[in-house]
Amino acid sequence: MSDTSTAVAVIAQVSKTDPATITPDMELVADLGLDSARALELLVELEDKLGIEINDEDAARLNTVGDILHYLEVR
Amino acid sequence: MGAIDRTWPTSLSEAVRRAARDAPEQGIAVFDGRARNLERRTYADLEELALASARRFHGLGVAPREPVLVALPTSWEWLEAWFGLLMLGAWPVASSGAGAMAAAEAQFDKVERVMAKIGARFVVASETFQRQAVDQGFSFAERGVITTDAQRRAPERSFQGPRDAGDDIAFLQLTSGSTGVPRAVAISHRAAIHNPLASTEAIGAPLGAPADDWADGMVSWLPLYHDMGLIGCLILPLVTGLDTWLLRPQTFLARPALWLHNLGVRGTTFTPAPNFGYQLCVERVPEDQLASLDLSSWQVALTGAEMVRSETSRAFCAKFAACGFSETAFRPCYGLAEATLAVTFDLKGEGVRTRPAPVGADAGFAMSDVVSTGSPVRDTRVRIAAPDLSDRADGEIGEVLISGPGLFSGYYNDAEATAECMHDGWFATGDLGFVHDGELYLTGRTKDLLIVHGHNIMPDEIERLADSVTGGGGLLRSAAFSVARGATGEEAVVVVEVDDNDPQRLSQLGHAIRSKIGRAAGLPLADLVFVRRGRIPRTTSGKMQRGELRQRYVDGRLERA
Repeated sequence: MSDTSTAVAVIAQVSKTDPATITPDMELVADLGLDSARALELLVELEDKLGIEINDEDAARLNTVGDILHYLEVR
Repeated sequence: MGAIDRTWPTSLSEAVRRAARDAPEQGIAVFDGRARNLERRTYADLEELALASARRFHGLGVAPREPVLVALPTSWEWLEAWFGLLMLGAWPVASSGAGAMAAAEAQFDKVERVMAKIGARFVVASETFQRQAVDQGFSFAERGVITTDAQRRAPERSFQGPRDAGDDIAFLQLTSGSTGVPRAVAISHRAAIHNPLASTEAIGAPLGAPADDWADGMVSWLPLYHDMGLIGCLILPLVTGLDTWLLRPQTFLARPALWLHNLGVRGTTFTPAPNFGYQLCVERVPEDQLASLDLSSWQVALTGAEMVRSETSRAFCAKFAACGFSETAFRPCYGLAEATLAVTFDLKGEGVRTRPAPVGADAGFAMSDVVSTGSPVRDTRVRIAAPDLSDRADGEIGEVLISGPGLFSGYYNDAEATAECMHDGWFATGDLGFVHDGELYLTGRTKDLLIVHGHNIMPDEIERLADSVTGGGGLLRSAAFSVARGATGEEAVVVVEVDDNDPQRLSQLGHAIRSKIGRAAGLPLADLVFVRRGRIPRTTSGKMQRGELRQRYVDGRLERA
């Protein structure tokens, strides 16, 4: 599985959303309804599943699904 | 186990010296962000580090009796800063630092407003915090940030140890008012010593001895800028010479099982958490991890800081009974920053005890029953008052008033706010409840405050974000409050007045508002309601009546635009 599809799968699982409906412009809090606990769960799940570490400064800038996918591409 | 001197210390700095002397092997352990490593130091180390830190603060020009913000994550940097300021006789003010997925901008804005309100010259923070605050043009950032690096490199300058005691201020703790800037609750040395000692007595009551007699320590994930984290999980173990193990809040939120795992391996423990923390464990600890958890030595699981919900404690007991968690370990309590922390504790130790929700209980909290939060701690009194402050009879709902030695010395630099809630030595809490058989039950609150996940949020913070959204829909004014629909506790609702009722433009506006509040406050909205101009009730003087608005919403009487 590519990083992108893994990330979408993790986002879908944490937000309890159908992966087919997830689009890059979706906001994590406003559209996917993630509260602070869920947002942190997402962060740690992404780190574990992708074997990466996302620092706090970068994490603070991840507002949308697209932000996460872009971050994974350029990191 | 601590073997601390039973005569009470007269100041918090004396408590540090005593812990170093009487409990030199006990101390504080701080986990890193993923709870993989921990840094443990003894109280003897703490005293040494704090005194050196105090000399460096003095070298940097920090003076005794001046408030200094500490905006760092839970870490030894935090502990060195907070206790260094304390030993110098300055007043540390723990403030939330920018965490993962937190909105940096809102954080800086809050720090700036708090500093202005309490006349603070400095905030202790990370280099990143300073750089970002400078980049975003915050004026305090140029000269007002003492970075941890600068603090570490500062020249030491000796100082006269403060003779603080009794009624002198020891530190300030921030709490949310209903509008504007957080309030700085001034806590005296007397209160800071009395409240933890009264608490260990009450916590130990069903076992016949103060908690520090039989416990090895505590394991906490609560933020240190919150009274339950600071007083309950740091000052209490320090004053009683117990070990304490501190996880960052983010670590717990991402993986609640890490808290339970550590509770199980640190000997006999007691620990507080808000209802939401227990609920998170119910929902998010994977079934396949239960077998590896041993909760049999977790003697007391205190639950407070927000409405205690019996469905949560029942679900928690059902899920974790197999891990050895005892139903009777649950001990509801009630406290608030203005009382230092603790006001009442369940003293019976029979688990969560409830009564049917009485007529007049807040329907917006969706409770079928109300939980006993127990009886007042030593020297502390609770009474229930009518709006004219006369006493309510047993069982009648009214405002909760408290008095006792744990009471704060006032809101720092805000005599007006202090005068509003102090009545002849009684503090009016803004919480509603009743007393039955000498025990306090909470049923709602009069103050305009959202309590989401144990965190107090000022409605004003959310409304200012909503009001700042421009674009379709013609937003006029907004109001925020919270309601609970079940075990997950309170969630945020925003009501917005508009002149427009074009569905497409309202939908755009709705998305923009949710996005703004999501990005800046990290808060999802349970509901966003558009109403016509003038539908948000106001008093004749134009003051918004959030309580009345919320009641109409809960009753389904709010007409949508």
